[in-house]
Amino acid sequence: MNTTNVSSQALSTEAPTQTAMPADHVHPDSLKGISRRQTNPARWNGEGWDVFVGALRAKNVEVREKKQTCRVYATDSGGLAYGMPHGVTLAVSAEQISTILKEAQTHRVPVTVKGGGLTTEGESVAFGGLQLDMRGMNRVISVDGKNMTVRTQAGIHWHTLAEVLRRDGLDYLSAPLNLTASVGGTLAVGGIDINSPRLGCSADQAVSLQVVTPTGEIRECSESVDPELFERVLLGYGQFGVITEAVMRVRKFTPITMHYFYYGSLRDALEDLQLLVREDAADYCGILTILDKAINLLVAFDSDERERVFFEKWRNRIRGHGEPAFALRMARYYCLRPWRIGEALYLLGRKRALEPAFNPSQYMENGKIVDRAVVFGNQVWKFWGGKQMVIPDLAVSAGKYVEAIERGNAVCKKYFPRYTLYCTGIKLSGRRERYELSCIPPDAVDFAYGCEFEPILGDTVYSREYLQAFKNEIYDIGVDMKTSYYRFGGMMKGYVRRVFGDEPVDKHLAMKRADDPAMILNPDVIF
Amino acid sequence: MVKGSSEEIREVDALIIGAGPAAAACAKRLVDAGYETVALERKALPRHKACSGILSPRGHRFLIENFGPLPKETLHAPSSADGVTFHFPSMLSVSMDFDGGPTPHLHRKYADHWAMRRSGAEVHDRTEFTGLQDKGARVDVTARRDERTVRYRARRVIGADGPGLSVVRALYPDYAGRIPWFVVGQKFHAVIACPLDDKYFHFWFHPELGHYTWSHARDGRQIVGVGFLKGDNFDVRHQRVVEYLERKHHVKLGPAESPEIVPANFGPSLINRYIFGKGNVLITGQAAGFFNMIAEGMSCALHSGAIAGEAAVESFRNPADVQRVYRGMIASEVRRCSDQWNPLEIAFGRPHEADLGGALKKLKVRERLGVLREILSFTKLYAPLNWGRQIIWQAVCRRITGRYPPTRWL
Repeated sequence: MNTTNVSSQALSTEAPTQTAMPADHVHPDSLKGISRRQTNPARWNGEGWDVFVGALRAKNVEVREKKQTCRVYATDSGGLAYGMPHGVTLAVSAEQISTILKEAQTHRVPVTVKGGGLTTEGESVAFGGLQLDMRGMNRVISVDGKNMTVRTQAGIHWHTLAEVLRRDGLDYLSAPLNLTASVGGTLAVGGIDINSPRLGCSADQAVSLQVVTPTGEIRECSESVDPELFERVLLGYGQFGVITEAVMRVRKFTPITMHYFYYGSLRDALEDLQLLVREDAADYCGILTILDKAINLLVAFDSDERERVFFEKWRNRIRGHGEPAFALRMARYYCLRPWRIGEALYLLGRKRALEPAFNPSQYMENGKIVDRAVVFGNQVWKFWGGKQMVIPDLAVSAGKYVEAIERGNAVCKKYFPRYTLYCTGIKLSGRRERYELSCIPPDAVDFAYGCEFEPILGDTVYSREYLQAFKNEIYDIGVDMKTSYYRFGGMMKGYVRRVFGDEPVDKHLAMKRADDPAMILNPDVIF
Repeated sequence: MVKGSSEEIREVDALIIGAGPAAAACAKRLVDAGYETVALERKALPRHKACSGILSPRGHRFLIENFGPLPKETLHAPSSADGVTFHFPSMLSVSMDFDGGPTPHLHRKYADHWAMRRSGAEVHDRTEFTGLQDKGARVDVTARRDERTVRYRARRVIGADGPGLSVVRALYPDYAGRIPWFVVGQKFHAVIACPLDDKYFHFWFHPELGHYTWSHARDGRQIVGVGFLKGDNFDVRHQRVVEYLERKHHVKLGPAESPEIVPANFGPSLINRYIFGKGNVLITGQAAGFFNMIAEGMSCALHSGAIAGEAAVESFRNPADVQRVYRGMIASEVRRCSDQWNPLEIAFGRPHEADLGGALKKLKVRERLGVLREILSFTKLYAPLNWGRQIIWQAVCRRITGRYPPTRWL
């Protein structure tokens, strides 16, 4: 139970505090064991807004207050949390953001930062206050081919960054599958790709950052300069500053070769994925399920040499079938179970749709995919995503992986007729402070493993409560097994203490209070 | 505001008829998404509402999560109920606690008003809905306030006015006459002696007392209530229950005060005959037919009201047929609510927020069989309504397809 029950004398009828779930006058033992589904009962009351806006305008900061403008920002990609900012500012410079945050501290106005808006639990939704839209800062500042780094403004989308890097024959290391995410937002939460088993999460490719702190200081930080701030801001869920610029490592662009292996058992596929991750057997690997008995393990390679070694050394150690053998198995299975014809037709339909999508002739050369960004980023979301991103996830240590995913799979089955699981590994770069209270589970060593549970919604519409109930049931597995999540915060705020315990949360809360005295930056995300 | 030739018309995104839990939840969703929303209430607010006030844990959670912690004035004394006790003619009693602990005993007059205010919507009280005309892109609505006609124009209208069904009647003039109506009434008594545990809501499965017979403590008095098919005499029914309580349970009460009688439409959720509106007009809450078992209508009003608001928001943001969206979204609430009455779900599932199966397991086998026999005997009260086949068919459909057929919804 995540509610802090207190005696009725100590209760307030005001909106809940930033740290505790609300209790009330009903009974100290009410709602025990019933987990929260939403934690934004009230919009910020707007006190001090007009003075704040006046102060910003006096300093030439534009704030748009029209309802039609604000309504554009009413929700995020998750589509379950809705809130209206009092006004919106398009970010243009670190200096402008500094001015905003200084005034926000003075007037105690909440500032909610939004990049690509790909949060799913309302983290980038402003429940009143100012919405800072980072997409105004979307330029690549410089590409350093000698040192293999890029300096970019943080509001840029990954696909724009990829386009710019491609001109110099370069590529980013690791980006989230949805390339409309912003660089700044991704560095603040993690970012997982199918090359994360080899290269770690996107945040780990950052070399240095320009950050505007919650009190408006503009600071440069890296592992050697102001490392404390650097570690707080990476995977910091926007609590300790706004990332305005980032220097990131890049690599040479390479076409990739992809191979698919098919499984009838989720457990076998997960175990083989872990083997490949642990042994660094592929440059890219991940699992996408179609049905419980049709699971696809994909592996890909940047070089012919790596591909050759895989087939020499590892292919025989994994249990996945090639497509013809698996097709025969499936044919036999459904011949013996004709009443499952619907399932078989679904499988065939998916195969027909997916095969050309993942081998698009315009992006293929000599059997290699020449633009993985387009193929993965576009096609995966086209075939697995819906108009709403309903993708609860679990991030777990190696020993808990199979059990957590099997439990999550059972929850999916309970709620939806069709769904997919996207699983991959995440290489850790040692023991970093940034990993504390993040998507990296506290007990992970060398590698963490993750899974997104994604219903295929199609044209069916569901109530928010139904979708949130599904997500919460997945998140509850995390609480039960003491794992973590790719994304937490927002409506998951109530989960943070339950899954991590009080100690790290209190530690980060104390840091937050010290760095953000008025608690105005991205409120209600974690604290 | 549009200035017409003679009267001003208030233009809004959404107009909600009613100011109860369904209306408040619906308004919250619309206001959160930035849509101008006005709610009409025919009485002056805060207004009295006859109700047991015992909210389910799910409803309690909804209130906290959407409106914040409940303030003191929204609760009666005792402020909570631990659970429900079922009493049977054999004098066997079965108590079960609510899942998750005690649940609120709402003072509806203030709780409804508090939730409505917290929703952020503009409320026009003393304004009685009188009619509507759906013109495709807009719905023109008329109402009366202070003996004057007031006009509204809304992109969506949501009927959330409970069993008054004013919006339903405007859409389907003959609907109210086609469904069976129950009368639910309660009276308040000073307590001389009452051995009934005041932490529990008490319900009698007794065919001679009524379709719905209950008692619980409130603000130092004891409520005795009875529900029955419309047409019977409330005072006679009520007196029969009072005498039964004295004779069988040794409950000694003072004279009855403050009688409250309300109509109730229990039927739709038993037989999956909900009414969700047409065109740009949505019906939700009790008006749509949502009623949990033991006549707790507030939690499903809150949830269905929220879904109506979500559907309206969705239709504004991504132009779509709002009825299709609403009916798609509401399916989960239909399932949840109808499951509570579904004999197969009760037998093989766990549709209620209290563990009936667990409570029965504590009984000896003979007692358990006796209870089942008495419940069966109680259901015979409903025989004149000819719901039996419909309930069984709906239960079977639910078991096979996993849902209740939406083709039965109006």
